[in-house]
Order: sequence, then C-alpha cells, then structure tokens
Amino acid sequence: MTQKILDFNKLAHELLPKGSGYDSCIACGLCSSGCPAAGFFGMGPQHFIRMAMLGMNQELATTPWVWTCTQCKRCLYICPMNIDVSLLVGAARGAWPDEKKPQGIMRSCEAQSLNSSTSAMGLTSEDFIEITQDVLEEIKAEDHRFNTLQVPFDKKGAYFVVNQNSREPGVEAEEMGPLWKILNYVGANWSYTSKGWAAENFCMFTGSDAAWEKMVTQRVDAMNELGASVWINTECGHSLYALWKGIERFDLKANFQPGNLISYYAQWIREGKLPVNSDWNTMGLKFTLQDPCQLVRKSSGDPAAEDLRFVAKKLVGADNFIDMQPCKSANYCCGGGGGFLQAGMREQRRAYGKRKFDQIAATQASYVLTPCHNCHSQIEDIGEYYSGNYHVVHFWTLICLSLGILGQQERRYLGPELENLGLVPGDINAKT
Amino acid sequence: MIRETRSIQTQLAIVGTGLGGLAAGIFAKYRGIKSAQVGHTGAITYTTGYFDLLGGLLGEQILDPWQGLSSLKKHYPKHPLVRIAKEDIHKALNLFNKELNNMGIGYSEPGNTNLMALLPSGVCKPTISVPLTMLAGVKAKEAKSPTLLIDFVGLQGFSAVEFVANLKKSWPLLTAQRIAFPDMIEGQQVFPEVMARALEVPSTRQKLAETIKPFIGNAKYLGLPSILGINKPDLIHNNMEELLGVKVFEIPSIPPSVPGMRLRELFEQKFVDKNVTLIPQHKVEHIELNDDGAKLFFKDPFGDIEISCKATILASGRFLSGGLKAEQQNIVETLLNIPVTQPTGRDDWYQEKYFDPKGHNINQVGVEIDNNFRPLNTKGEPINRRLFAAGTIIAHQDWVRQRCGAGVSLSTAYQAVKYAAKVLD
Repeated sequence: MTQKILDFNKLAHELLPKGSGYDSCIACGLCSSGCPAAGFFGMGPQHFIRMAMLGMNQELATTPWVWTCTQCKRCLYICPMNIDVSLLVGAARGAWPDEKKPQGIMRSCEAQSLNSSTSAMGLTSEDFIEITQDVLEEIKAEDHRFNTLQVPFDKKGAYFVVNQNSREPGVEAEEMGPLWKILNYVGANWSYTSKGWAAENFCMFTGSDAAWEKMVTQRVDAMNELGASVWINTECGHSLYALWKGIERFDLKANFQPGNLISYYAQWIREGKLPVNSDWNTMGLKFTLQDPCQLVRKSSGDPAAEDLRFVAKKLVGADNFIDMQPCKSANYCCGGGGGFLQAGMREQRRAYGKRKFDQIAATQASYVLTPCHNCHSQIEDIGEYYSGNYHVVHFWTLICLSLGILGQQERRYLGPELENLGLVPGDINAKT
Repeated sequence: MIRETRSIQTQLAIVGTGLGGLAAGIFAKYRGIKSAQVGHTGAITYTTGYFDLLGGLLGEQILDPWQGLSSLKKHYPKHPLVRIAKEDIHKALNLFNKELNNMGIGYSEPGNTNLMALLPSGVCKPTISVPLTMLAGVKAKEAKSPTLLIDFVGLQGFSAVEFVANLKKSWPLLTAQRIAFPDMIEGQQVFPEVMARALEVPSTRQKLAETIKPFIGNAKYLGLPSILGINKPDLIHNNMEELLGVKVFEIPSIPPSVPGMRLRELFEQKFVDKNVTLIPQHKVEHIELNDDGAKLFFKDPFGDIEISCKATILASGRFLSGGLKAEQQNIVETLLNIPVTQPTGRDDWYQEKYFDPKGHNINQVGVEIDNNFRPLNTKGEPINRRLFAAGTIIAHQDWVRQRCGAGVSLSTAYQAVKYAAKVLD
C-alpha cells in the first residue's frame, strides 16, 4: 500500500470549525508554545499550519510527528482563531499505509475487532464474565460485608450501563473491586453488557474512521439493547471521548445519556450517599491531580474539572490538595494520550512527559490522582524514568480507602504508608 | 444521543475575557453581583504585562497621564477616558491593581507619573503600572547601573545583543550574554512558556542560577526575558534574586509571551467563586436581548449552553478578539450587529505612512455609547436598557498610538458595571 498524499489546505476547509481556517492563522505561536510535541521531527502545530498553507502536502503526509501529537486539542484551546490541528493530524494518520502505522496501536485495534467483546487485550465476553466472578468470590471470601455484592450482566431495567477498560480484567483484575463496591454502596442500579463491554478504543488512534465507527457501533448496539438510561464510563479518558464523539461523528442512534463517573462520585458525595472524608490522612500526605484531556478539555469542560477537585478535596483534605499548573481545561497532556503509549516512540514520549513531570515536581506532592488509564501509565513511567518520588492512584482506590472498604488486594498503587491503613473489616451496615 | 441543554441563571453576563471583560468581572464581584463570563483567547494573551493609562498624544510621549487627560479632552472630546471622572479612573486602576495583588501577581501601584518601562527591542514606553518582576529594570535604566542582560540559545524574538546595541549610548554599563537554558533539547526552538514553567521547579532555578553566576561580574542588576514562572512569578523572582545575589528583572518578549499567560491563568484559577462562573476559551455565538435582560447561547464540546441574565456587558474587544470584524468594505460588530462608527470607505482606514503621528482611523472605530455606557443604535438611542459596553470595542480611542489600552479597558469596565448595577437593583 502506498502513502496517500492529502491536500491539507482543502481538508482544512472541510474539517476546521466554522470561522477558522489556515488563512486566519496569525502565526503567533501560542499553539507550539504550549505543545509538548513541538520540536519533534522538526515539526509542531505552528509548522503544520504554515506548511499546509504552503502546500507542502508530501512532508505533512509523511512526517512521523503525527504519532507524537496526542490530539489533546490544547492548541485549539489556546488559539484565538479556533484552528484545530488535531483534526488534520487525525486525517494524516488515517492516510498512512496500515503497515507503516505504529504497530502497537494497530495490533490493539485489530484485537478489538476479533470478537463482540471489543477488548483490545483480546478477552472474550466469556473471559470477562469468568474473571469478574472469580474476583467477586475473592472479595466475598476476604470480607463478609460483601456477601451480597453483585456484578450484574445484561440486567434489563438497569439505570446505568457501565463499561470497563480491559486493562483491569486483563492484568489487574482486583482493581475492578473498588468500583463495584462504590456502586453497591450508593445503591446504584447498574449493569455491564456481555457484548461490547470494553471501554478502550485504540481504533480511534489509528486514524481510521471506519475502524473507530465499527467499534462504537458495536458498543452502542449493546447498550441500546440493554435499555439503560445513562452510560457511565469507567475512570478512563479516551474511552469516554471515543464513544460520545464517535456517536456524533458517525451520526449513530444512542438511546442513553453519556455520563462521567467523576461527576457521579461528586453527586453521590453531595447527596450523602458516599460519605467520604479525609480523616484517614493523618500524615498530611499531599496530592495533586492530572486532568485527563479527554475528559475535561475535550468532553465535559471545567464543570468536570471542578467535580474532580471537589471529590479530591473531600478525599484527601483541602489543605492536602495542590493543583498542578496549568490545570483544568488549560492542562497539558501527560504524553500518554493519542496512542503514544502504544506507538513505540519511547524517547519522544518521555521527552514529551518531561513537562508533565516538572509540573508534578513543582507541586511536591507524593501522590498524583487521575481518573484515566493512559495518564496513569504515562505518569508512572515518567516518574520512574526521571526519578520522581510519587505514586499514581485512581479515585476509586481513595474512595474505598476513605470508606474503610478497600481490600488488601486493591492497594497495588498505594505507597507503603497506606499499605495496611484501615484494613480491619468493620460493619458496612453500621455506616449506612 | 440524548443531551440536555445546560442552563446558567445569573444577574450579569459578561462577554469577553480580555482586560475589559476581566476587569468587569472583578468590579462586579466587588459589588456582590452574581456573574457569568464567557470569552476566548484575545489580545490580552499578547500583552507586555504593562498597564498603560495614557502614554502618547499626537506623537508626543506623555509622562504625566493625569495631566495628559486634560489635553486628551481638548483634542479627542469623544474619547471614552474623557467621559469618565478622574476619580473613577483612579478607583478602577487601584481596585484592579489590588485584586491582582490579592490573587497572586504583584503590580506596582499606579502613581502620579508614568514609568519608562523596557521593551524587548531596547526601547522604552511610558506606562502607569508594571509587574513587580519587571520593576527593577525601570530603576536600573534610570540609574544606568551595571547590568547584565541574558538571552537563551534557541529563543526567538529576544536578543540581548540587540537590546544592548540600542541602549549602549545611554546605558554604557549594560552588557549581554547568551546561555543555554538547563535541560532543553539541543537544536530545538525554546519557548518562553516552556522556560517559565520549568522555573516553577526549585531545582531548575538552582541550575539556571549556577549557569548565570560565572557571567555576573560587577553587575548589580540582571535582566532576563520574561520567564520567571507563570503562576508564582513573585516567589520565583525573589528566589532568583536570593540565588544570584543581585537585583533581577524581566523584560517582556514578543508573543507567544509569558505576561499574558500569567494573567489568563490567574483569572481562570483564582477568580471563580460562588458568585462567579467563568467559562474560558469559549465564544458566545448568539445573543437575544429582551426587556428583562438577555439570553446568550454557545457550545462546548459536550453540547449547548444557555445563559439567562438581567444585564449584559459587551466586552468582546476588537479584531483579534473577534468583537469587530473587517468585511470587504466596512467594519461590523459581530454579535448584535451594533452600528460601528467608521470611515466612509476602506481607503480611509489607514494613513499613507505607518508611523503617522495621527494614527490610523481604523484604530478608532467602534461602537457609540451613551453616558450610561449603553451601546447606541443608528438613531443614537440605547439598543437595550440592560446592555452595556466596556473595553476597546468602544469608539474614539486609539489604544495603539495613545498607549491607553489598559486605562480604557479598566475605566470603562468600572463604569459599565456601575450602571449595570443600577438596573439590577
């Protein structure tokens, strides 16, 4: 398959938001200034725009830079002319011959297409159900308070349909437990679907609209069939964006509202259903927060960012929370987005992540909270690579820690100081 | 997919997050008015960080801006600044200054005379208030003190050698040195924003100080492009002075520069409270005015948002910010199609000479207002009794030549909020 050469200037007129275009670029450089990928392979968002204007289509069609751009849309966020470089990067990715695209991304997408489970780790529906049942039995065996805990599949009449990133059943199955416990604690009427249960969508990162659409369609069909009112995405950024954006982009019919889990955490805390507090943090451990681009800037915006902070402060104590700078919608991508973690460009990915590492270091926090799998992996990796001294945790871990229901096996991301905190089982009914 | 329109109910809607819009937000908050504010990147992002009240008139520099306002009245009787009592201008500048200091960026107190502030090419301009990180530069130049100016490998648009070349005659003890900023990738362009964020890490400050120290010699002052952090510039400034043992000052660099990012991020993070909703980096797309106020409509990635309010302040700025748009033959206001006072034809937009001391007519176009800062229709009547205007969208001022941008923005915002408060009572 040969490289397809796109006419980027023409494409810009088709794809860019109303009122913007390459010819409106004032060359101020704000986009590149705030882009951690600027400079790789002699390219950056500003270069991309100027070269498109000059008709340098061959160079733009072949630059590997498009695989280092995480399509985080910070350039769009800051651009006074509303120019969205990420749309063109997506088109450029799609025009690469499949055999030349980063094979890590391609393999993950191919695995998702293997069967109706849509899992990038190749787990079938039967695998997923079996793994959840095993984990459920372990939880019940460990703590009698969860004797009646259930993990429903294809439950008609469920209000929430929940999807699950394959990373958990695939490599760290015990990490599914905290979310189930939270849903149980608040009395949520929820269900997984046995088909299309997986959350991740690497097909979006390949640049192939057809592959992205196929993935979204399978999941939407499964959720429509269930008939739930609200779809809740697990603590994962790109899978939230890939689904709701995919529904819009491909004009699919979805009979449910999209919801983000963090805002539900916030709502349940406000309603008193999730009575978390920071009493456990007697050591005054400091926490910062990585706003996932896909959840905040690209999806729900600053209201989601405010919910993240509300929940985080309740969990760790307002005095122990230190915001990273910049943050909320202005946040920098960590370098784990856009398939970068699977793209095999480790040197560039870590150079990209150095800016995030510095932002974390400036907070001097010993924990980074983030509700995103890719952020989680990347921030852990750069922490190790640049000799950082922090841990990266999910929200569900701290919620269960605070409620005194976090099991021994559910603490892999906590530091030694929290390894055993609150492990003595109490009676959950006494709290509710 | 099922989506609900999100609705925001508020007393005051402010369109624009430039200097005029943000000042309106501050003044509204000060008066206890509940507000919602929407705006995108605009001219504020490109600011030097200096706040000008009045620095030029008919080609002459103005050193006493307060006295200058009297001359302004004589030559430009419709100028928005001459429609505001000096006392109110004082209040606007001082209140804004105080709030900025409270939120975390130190500024010098607006005084009786202009300061001669340094610009990246080695020239100076008269201005009323400067960030504290830049103040020592004004003093160093005044005293002609021995000063070392640093620039960086890979940094574009700021040359210490050029700066020194332009000032060497009047400032002989000024010297230049280029160094490499710690931990940057060799051969790549280095942005001020990247250096500024890196300096928020204490260890980077130490590395930079160690790199600079061998070149200090007899210098009493050290000048840098504006890179001393985005969020805690005063803390980083003080720390660098401690590490280097000399007075340190910043000089604004050309865009994409740090001072505007500081202001934007400061507001995005410190300004919001229970009475203030700020929706940054979005543009209002449509406004429907009614007898009780207005409805404003726009979108974010997740869907439609609607603001209902009892009064609106239009602070949407000029061409860069999108408040005004130049069509082929005329200039239009983009949201409500408010009449724009302008030359009769495109041929009269510009003077023949770029540096003509009269300035260009296009810089004075804008909307007309009444004494209550309400935009007017073609009959000279207020378009709506609950619609107000603030900032540089107002006609008859030339912020470019008269160096009056901040003065106009802050003072008109103060007035617009004052009159909006009356219809909210």
